[in-house]
Amino acid sequence: MPKRKLDPLPSTAFQILLSLVDDDLHGYGIMRQVADQTDGRMRLGPGTLYSSIQTLLEAKLIDQVDSREDARLGPERRRYYRITSAGRKLARSEAERLADLLRVARTKKVLRGRYV
Amino acid sequence: MSERIYAWLLQLYPSHFREAYGGEAQQLFRDRVRDEKGFFSCLRLWLDLIVDLAISIPREYGYAQATPFGASVPQRLNNVPVFYVLEGGSPRPGAMLFGSVLSCLALAIFWLSLSHAGNYVGLGIVATGQLQNDSNFFQHEAPQTYRQDAITATNPAEVFRLDAVERQRVIDAAVVILKKHYIEHENARKMADALLAHAKSGDDDAVTDGAAFAALLTRQMRDVSSDRHLTLEYRQDPLPEHPAGQSPEDLARYSMAMKQQNCTFERVEILPHNIGYVKLNSFPDVSVCQPTAKAAMAALNHADAIIFDLRDNRGGQPTMVMLIATYLFDHPEYMYNPRENTTERSWTRSPVPGNSLADKPAYILTSSSTFSAAEHFSYDLKMLKRATLVGETTGGGAHSGVWHRIDDHFGMGIPETKAINPFAKTDWAEVGVEPDVKVKAADALVIAEKLAQSKLRKK
Repeated sequence: MPKRKLDPLPSTAFQILLSLVDDDLHGYGIMRQVADQTDGRMRLGPGTLYSSIQTLLEAKLIDQVDSREDARLGPERRRYYRITSAGRKLARSEAERLADLLRVARTKKVLRGRYV
Repeated sequence: MSERIYAWLLQLYPSHFREAYGGEAQQLFRDRVRDEKGFFSCLRLWLDLIVDLAISIPREYGYAQATPFGASVPQRLNNVPVFYVLEGGSPRPGAMLFGSVLSCLALAIFWLSLSHAGNYVGLGIVATGQLQNDSNFFQHEAPQTYRQDAITATNPAEVFRLDAVERQRVIDAAVVILKKHYIEHENARKMADALLAHAKSGDDDAVTDGAAFAALLTRQMRDVSSDRHLTLEYRQDPLPEHPAGQSPEDLARYSMAMKQQNCTFERVEILPHNIGYVKLNSFPDVSVCQPTAKAAMAALNHADAIIFDLRDNRGGQPTMVMLIATYLFDHPEYMYNPRENTTERSWTRSPVPGNSLADKPAYILTSSSTFSAAEHFSYDLKMLKRATLVGETTGGGAHSGVWHRIDDHFGMGIPETKAINPFAKTDWAEVGVEPDVKVKAADALVIAEKLAQSKLRKK
């Protein structure tokens, strides 16, 4: 099976890593968190979400922790995912890369203002 | 039922994906269905799923492709095609049946959409077309605007046939409405007399087609008054008893649709050379979209020039026209609008505190689809020499007035206000707004960018 690519890091994978920074989440929790942190612009469908999760699992950027119930959503058991230290490191370096890009954009006056 | 449909759709994924995540994907679908109730949420959910399926299924098969199954993988010979099998074993009968049913369904939908294309009103049109083009949509007592192109009687087989009694009934009703409502009473009387005289002399006798009869009466009235804002129209579909789109549900639906479409601000960005670009596909109601409009103008505040792309803009609310135009002046400016009496609402609220766009070059991109309120914006800024119009002559929709329903098929648009046009004797009614730089609509953005760059270089 061909290697699922993470270089460059797709925005979906980056958003999933960011969603897991604060807490372990199940698939639907990740989808909701990504929608929140992008103001609703990115609503991950099941296919895209689990394909990206599979990629991140293979790259050991996230782990599958356990299956348990989410009291708010009912008695069904759900698989939870957790970001690994390699995942945090990659998320940080991606954020720094984007910050560098913004600095260049400001220098070129493509982007105005001091804040994003 | 919807969960069962999604379970079927999951069968389209390769088996390795279904086995690993099929259950979770269904669980996620159930969660969304439970949390996203209401028509628009449900519609959005299914649109999301369709896009998701279209993107993720080919990708998953791509991942599966390098491990072909089968007894042996043949060596590729020169120019001899090689076939790989993605799944081991034959497809299950259920999968074959599902594939056949899906194909038939897709074919049937395609055929149905083709055969009903003429009557189809898309969701986007309901949300943005009808509501936006009723430029006084939210003012219950104010005049409604209407559109000349609303008449759709095209199929001769289905056209309403008129006899002498029907014709006389329409003429009598038109006479009563003219005398009662037309702004200039003397002209109203003359037009009414003309309609009756033509009927008496048999000029209308040969006309049995509803649309042709409406056009004939409109011509007879305009021969007397030369008022191109006055019209008598025929619609094949029955006209509603009451003006549409004024209930709280309609307003809520409109508000929701606008939020989902970012108030039709399709793009707001800075192009190379610090040229601001806003693609606006309607002029939505300020009561819903004022924050979005202000945010869009604020985002472009530091641009050195600004381009308004109205090539897909079919109209909307004059209040939004005024709101956006306000940013282009450093003093209150009169904006002519044939729909309204000259009042304080005809003046922009310039200057806007902190606004830097008042002295920046402005360009408006137009097409033959640019219509109604978009023409109001274009016409006034052209006449005020505040913007350069680039593109095609616009659609020519300045008709406005109070709509008077005669019966299920006929109605009249009567101007009941008289706005002062300080720029010219005529406006854009039926002739459109001529651009300053006439180019194909598709080329307008490139040309406008070049014009802006050249102007900025000269500064």
